[in-house]
Amino acid sequence: MLKIENLCKTYPNGTQALNDVSFEVEEGEFLAVIGLSGSGKSTLLRCINRLIEPTSGKITWNGVDVTAATGSDIRKIRRQIGMIFQQFNLVKRSSVNTNVLSGRLGYAPTIPSLFHVFSKEDHDNVRKNLDMVGLLDKIDVRADSLSGGQQQRVGIARALMQEPKMVLADEPVASLDPVLAHSILKYLEKLNKEYGITVICSLHFLDLVHRYATRAIALKDGYLVFQGLPKEIDDKQFKQIYGKEAERIEVI
Amino acid sequence: MNSESSQIQSKNKIEKISPFFSILIPGSGQFIQKKTWRGITIFLFAVVLGFMVKWSFETFQIGQVQMANGDSFSWLLIPLVVFYLWNILDAFLLAEGKKSSVVWAFLAAAVILYVIGYVVTGVKMDRLVTRIGDAKVVMTKLANPDFFSTYEGEKVVVCGWKCMWNYADTKLHGEVGPQIFVSDNVARIFGGKSKITATIWDVWFGKADEVGQRVPGFETGKIVETIAIGLMATLFSTILAIPVSFLAAHNIMRRVPGGLPIYYFTRGILNIVRAVDTVVWGLIIIVWVGLGSFAGVIALTIHSVAALAKLFSEEIEHIDSGPVEAIEATGGNFFQVIRYAVIPQIIPSFLSYTLLRWDINMRSATVIGFVAGGGIGFFVLETIRQGGYQQYAAALWAIAVVIIIVDFISSRWRNQILKDQPPAEEKVPTWKKIRKVVYIVLGLAAFVYCWTITKIDLESLFNPGKTFGRLLLDFISIDVTPDVVKGVVKELIVTVMQAFMATTLGGLLAIPFSFLAAKNLTGKSKFLSWIFYITRGMFNVLRSIEALLYVAIFVFWVGIGPFAGMMALAITTFALLGKLFSEAIENIDSGPIEAITAAGANKMQTIGYAIVPQIVPPFLSYLIYQWDINIRMATIIGFAGGGGIGLMLNTYFGSLQYHKAGTVILAIVLIVAIMDFSSAKIREKFV
Repeated sequence: MLKIENLCKTYPNGTQALNDVSFEVEEGEFLAVIGLSGSGKSTLLRCINRLIEPTSGKITWNGVDVTAATGSDIRKIRRQIGMIFQQFNLVKRSSVNTNVLSGRLGYAPTIPSLFHVFSKEDHDNVRKNLDMVGLLDKIDVRADSLSGGQQQRVGIARALMQEPKMVLADEPVASLDPVLAHSILKYLEKLNKEYGITVICSLHFLDLVHRYATRAIALKDGYLVFQGLPKEIDDKQFKQIYGKEAERIEVI
Repeated sequence: MNSESSQIQSKNKIEKISPFFSILIPGSGQFIQKKTWRGITIFLFAVVLGFMVKWSFETFQIGQVQMANGDSFSWLLIPLVVFYLWNILDAFLLAEGKKSSVVWAFLAAAVILYVIGYVVTGVKMDRLVTRIGDAKVVMTKLANPDFFSTYEGEKVVVCGWKCMWNYADTKLHGEVGPQIFVSDNVARIFGGKSKITATIWDVWFGKADEVGQRVPGFETGKIVETIAIGLMATLFSTILAIPVSFLAAHNIMRRVPGGLPIYYFTRGILNIVRAVDTVVWGLIIIVWVGLGSFAGVIALTIHSVAALAKLFSEEIEHIDSGPVEAIEATGGNFFQVIRYAVIPQIIPSFLSYTLLRWDINMRSATVIGFVAGGGIGFFVLETIRQGGYQQYAAALWAIAVVIIIVDFISSRWRNQILKDQPPAEEKVPTWKKIRKVVYIVLGLAAFVYCWTITKIDLESLFNPGKTFGRLLLDFISIDVTPDVVKGVVKELIVTVMQAFMATTLGGLLAIPFSFLAAKNLTGKSKFLSWIFYITRGMFNVLRSIEALLYVAIFVFWVGIGPFAGMMALAITTFALLGKLFSEAIENIDSGPIEAITAAGANKMQTIGYAIVPQIVPPFLSYLIYQWDINIRMATIIGFAGGGGIGLMLNTYFGSLQYHKAGTVILAIVLIVAIMDFSSAKIREKFV
């Protein structure tokens, strides 16, 4: 179980990205985080694996105090949490194989990994995970010769290499054509349902939230303004989260 | 009245009286009105111009006007007063909220700087004409390089164009003409059969019994030696610059505990090392390892490490941070992040900068011999001393050919690398694999060959010459007695003025020619495209030879001194700016040209309304870039008799006065740093 208590983050320039945010996530949930751009979704996800240092507050995950961890302990926590990014964050010039293998770096011993030496098991897992996202035939091509949707699937395969107990997905479909959104989210759903991985995913479109999430939270200007079931977000809630100007739109 | 509006009132009051501040301290009124940079610039200009007028009057009596009562003053005070009055008017107009033109300030400053520049660089335009006879002699010799020889009675003489023509003529007519053969000079430049000192390889191949024995063999030509110096320096500097660049990259060092002090230290050292030209490094290095190619390699390597590490580190700072974040999120440690997220991203730009540096190093290698005693530079120095202008001319042509080829290869490969396409074929064909192996073998062989002929001697690297320790001590305790400082300031001003005059002269000449060398303006007719090829060709040939190598021509023509150096700098400025300007013209948007032409404008109108407005920003930017280059070049132009601070440095080094040499080097570092900073600021503001 992931427990966030009174989380605050103020950036050096004075921006208050998170204000006293508290919530819990049970194991096996698919939690959607919604809110406008700049509402603090990315900051929240990055605080959970400490890519961003929270200013105050406490995060505990399965009894481990994440906020108190230092040095190699942080890395041991991180390697159990997969992350998927809006811009895919692949190394464009490296092969798909290398990109996926790099998901194993948190486990691999340092010196051999610097010379690109990984265990046979790791290499087998690369093939298995690429097969799972349907890109086994692309194993040797350079990442930048893939389409956006394919790159994001490589990103998922990389996260799977970590054998994660939880996956953080930061707007995984925002840089893709809307028609590809479902294909990516179906993979996340598969991780959640078949492998039992907890998924915390920030999303823009409400109908995607309805379709995939088991629970949702909403942020506005760094405050937690809603938590509950996706279907509980009615028009009134919607206006509160997105502002009066907002209109509901749907993706295919 | 609330407090806010009274605050605005009091602020207005200060701004209203701000012109009075400008009466006391130039620029301060503008500063108060929140025109910070304008104020600072006016203040600095006032100080510099005032100093220059006073200094030039005291040192050179520039602008002296004798009064009836025997007093004298400099008429340059008049533009100085104009500048001062303009500053008050400017503050006044700005306070009124009106627009203020900088034309008068600009003119006043230009008059002062150009008058002083003209005098201190010893411009003697008349000499260009009165000594045209000498120029003709040297030009004739340069036009007839020593590649072939013939007999004139018993004597061996150079066979120039006329002799070659006669030879061809007699051959065609089937007569017995003069005997022609390849000159010894060619062997010295390109290599030829001779007695050589045996190396370990000759012993290996059984040509000699022991190292150091004199055996018949193939002696390396000076130009080949030059190429080897450039290659080795590029290789060594790239290898050394990679680790250094990580220490100088902000985004890497802030992740390392205690990394930021290392970052600032590395950056500082790199800037200092870069400010000192390769040739000056050569002076220092020969004290360490002695004269020879090896000293040249080290001098080039030192300067090149600093320049490359700076470029590399900026490249590291500009990488996409996404993959770094992703690898961190998988739990990778610092080294794994560097290996998997940083290194793959920087490979293409590192390679391309290395190729660019190779080009620059080859050019430096052609002149490093002036001080370090290796390569073609040494050969040129010797031939000039003996008055062998035809041998010198042959060397210049050889250099031009090599540099043009290097320039071509380097830019072609750079373009290919920066495109960075993923490989089209997924399977690499066998012939490509074989080709790769052949390239590696050839590369290794070239490496061993270059290592041998540049006489790389790691032992002497750790066995510095006896005087080197003294040099280091003397550099720490530099001589700052008034006499020395006065001399250094004088030479420094001459040097800066040389760069200033050369940039102006070269730039002005380059503008008309650049239009002739722009493909989009000249492609219309056969005649015009011939003009295009000739102008471009001229730019490329002139550009391939370093300013230091031109000095000898002007020394012969207008005499030793700063004017010769200035002219040499102006030639390289003309060639490089001409090329850059013409490329800027080629890169303009053709839309406006189409529109203006459609409106019925003629050629001149099209240039005035559609082309000029588009090319002013890039021209200015290139001018500033060239100014930076010229400041550095001007510091070494004195090594060949071109006046300025280089001559002073050479003298102090030659007479082992390292205290004073240290002062000169410090002055060079300071002036280059100041000019770098100010030109970066100007570029930010205007371009």
